[in-house]
Amino acid sequence: AAEPWPENATLYQQLKGEQILLSDNAASLAVQAFLQMCNLPIKVVCRANAEYMSPSGKVPFIHVGNQVVSELGPIVQFVKAKGHSLSDGLDEVQKAEMKAYMELVNNMLLTAELYLQWCDEATVGEITHARYGSPYPWPLNHILAYQKQWEVKRKMKAIGWGNKTLDQVLEDVDQCCQALSQRLGTQPYFFN
Amino acid sequence: MAAPLELSCWGGGWGLPSVHSESLVVMAYAKFSGAPLKVNVIDNTWRGSRGDVPILTTEDNIVSQPAKILNFLRKQKYNADYELSAKQGADTLAYIALIEEKLLPAVLHTFWVESDNYFTVTKPWFASRIPFPLSLILPGRMSKGALNRILLTRGEPPLYHLREVEAQIYRDAKECLNLLSNRLGTSQFFFGDTPSTLDAYVFGFLAPLYKVRFPKVQLQEHLKQLSNLCRFCDDILNSYFRLSLGECTVTYWNFTLWMCI
Repeated sequence: AAEPWPENATLYQQLKGEQILLSDNAASLAVQAFLQMCNLPIKVVCRANAEYMSPSGKVPFIHVGNQVVSELGPIVQFVKAKGHSLSDGLDEVQKAEMKAYMELVNNMLLTAELYLQWCDEATVGEITHARYGSPYPWPLNHILAYQKQWEVKRKMKAIGWGNKTLDQVLEDVDQCCQALSQRLGTQPYFFN
Repeated sequence: MAAPLELSCWGGGWGLPSVHSESLVVMAYAKFSGAPLKVNVIDNTWRGSRGDVPILTTEDNIVSQPAKILNFLRKQKYNADYELSAKQGADTLAYIALIEEKLLPAVLHTFWVESDNYFTVTKPWFASRIPFPLSLILPGRMSKGALNRILLTRGEPPLYHLREVEAQIYRDAKECLNLLSNRLGTSQFFFGDTPSTLDAYVFGFLAPLYKVRFPKVQLQEHLKQLSNLCRFCDDILNSYFRLSLGECTVTYWNFTLWMCI
């Protein structure tokens, strides 16, 4: 944990042009932004099977030294263990608020994106299926896309979003964006 | 406004008006906002569905799920967030998301998945309030639903195994409780002196955890160390849910009957 940040740290995500979906792109951007804000160099590498390479099955993941860490939460903790942190200046109440707003974004926006990508028939047909399976030959592209769709639908049903209509989801997104807008106000960043 | 508002929900025990978190959230909000709610406790009748409880029925509407019920009450002018600023409203949404993501999985686990707790406390309690033969099926189904939800939202493929997830969800829940305690500090409610939606949610999720007697109590022990959260729950129970004498007697009899089973 005391080793310095190596120069060859890499971030893996899916293919940017043809394959990556909105939700995964968002997660990857978040990690890239975080590392940039900490002034840590990172090289972005695109691989078609990034999802399967990741230790937790989720993208993005970073390869630093001889360690592989995936998803924003664990990456932030990992970077903190190396001595870089963006939230040192916050007091306890602000840290609580920060975590709460992060969960709001995860809970509402990410779930809404997943819903739009995988449960809205129009989007699924036009964009998601085609993009998700694009690096693979037939019939693998269809099988993987259907499998992923089934997984996401199961998850939506478990958290109670299975019966939501598109309008309700959009209303939730609107509410979430309003909340974030209120919190940001006219400041350049959320906490200063 | 004159239309009667009826809430169907699970009943109470251990000093609580309801042991079901979501029902408790709605009941607390109704008390805070002054909504005249007639509470219909689900009991040993075949009437009504149990799957989606709590359910609010008015003359021409049936609303389920706490968030939708609260929205409906607000539209009927029963608004507990009247005095909140826009930023506080935004904070409310954020903290509710935090509770649902970090605390709810561990609460579900404590009630429905941890075998000692489930078989000695939760299952008998719910089974005694559901008519036979549904009492043999429904608790099991609710337990599977809880397990499913935990695994699908927190489990990591390809294993989706409970062991790995358990430690993480309890860690997250303890951290969430600490964060809530930090945020509450020494104030009476989360946003000043009057209770709001966030107070209803926190009370709804914390009170069952605080009061129900379980064999396996790691999360409960952690909660009891956070004295301001315990004080918060007790204050709300004493101020808003003080039982009338009649209800006291009924609860006492229910409790003694339960102890005899």
